[in-house]
Amino acid sequence: MKSGEKILVVIPAYNEGESVEKVILDVRRYIAEADILLVNDGSTDLTSDRARRCGILVLDLPFNLGIGGAVQAGYKYAYEKGYSIAIQVDGDGQHDPKEIPKLLEVLEKEKVDMAIGSRFLGNTEYRSSVMRRLGITIFCGVISTIVGQKITDPTSGFRAANRKVIQLFASNYPQDYPEPEAVVLLHRCHLKMGEAPVAMSVRYAGESSITKIKSAYYMVKVLLAILVGCFKKRPSL
Amino acid sequence: MLIQIQIIVGMLSFALLLITFELIRKERLREEYSLLWLFTGVVTLAFSLWPEFFLSQFITRITGIFYLSAVVVIAFLFLLLIVLHFSVVISKLTNQTKELAQRYALLELELKEFKKRNPPPTET
Repeated sequence: MKSGEKILVVIPAYNEGESVEKVILDVRRYIAEADILLVNDGSTDLTSDRARRCGILVLDLPFNLGIGGAVQAGYKYAYEKGYSIAIQVDGDGQHDPKEIPKLLEVLEKEKVDMAIGSRFLGNTEYRSSVMRRLGITIFCGVISTIVGQKITDPTSGFRAANRKVIQLFASNYPQDYPEPEAVVLLHRCHLKMGEAPVAMSVRYAGESSITKIKSAYYMVKVLLAILVGCFKKRPSL
Repeated sequence: MLIQIQIIVGMLSFALLLITFELIRKERLREEYSLLWLFTGVVTLAFSLWPEFFLSQFITRITGIFYLSAVVVIAFLFLLLIVLHFSVVISKLTNQTKELAQRYALLELELKEFKKRNPPPTET
């Protein structure tokens, strides 16, 4: 890591009071020099108070915007405060902050604009439902084809972005199904992506935003959104 | 009679599909609102392509109606256009609300941090 780089860790959280302290402590342990911003997406529990007690920055959205709006608020903060790198870590404890250095390494060594933490790259073990896996397999195929580069885990929200991507996301970030759509958006803006193999754990607490029953519906909607996304006007940088 | 209705409905539903697609492409319609419109377009298009199926088999059996007034269909499609317009407006409002919420939160954090650095002189 180059010295003098300002790094911001963005933690979107919606009712993650149970897990948020552990995530913050882990982030601080593995990347001590970074500032931490928790984006509280209109939680009705103690998420915000607990995070504030840890002494980090807390951005309280007045109501629930959904993951896209919450993450984008984090990127806006990063952009306005002049951070050179922003790292996204979920507040539910799914992403292990121990893996953050791997993301930064990919960002720096592979000279990419965004590094994605992938569950499926390398020898990492990850278990999920059959529907979820099927959905992810189809996404990977479609997205890799569109992007012209193998993306093994487009739904991963464990990411590190450089200044260019921060600037793009601050003004343009997909709202409904942000992770896979953001990959397509980046490609359309001629920005480069790389992947780092990371271990992801089962969630500590809370509920996944995608339940089993909704998986198939989610899949159809995301594919539709991505395909239509290919025809959207490219945002100017 | 049927062939005229077929052509009109076919053209209108094709136009509906085209407009919906164009609105999504220009990001004036959010995907969440577009599904219903695409579905409506496909159904009315199917209706114009295979009217015998819908009229003689499907609807007749349920309601006994075998003759659809073209006026009703056209009026209905105009209503559809109006509601589509509402969807566009709601999409825009949703986006504006999101921007406002984000800006509000950023300013609130800025203010808190500012107060932390510069405590008001009246407080001891």
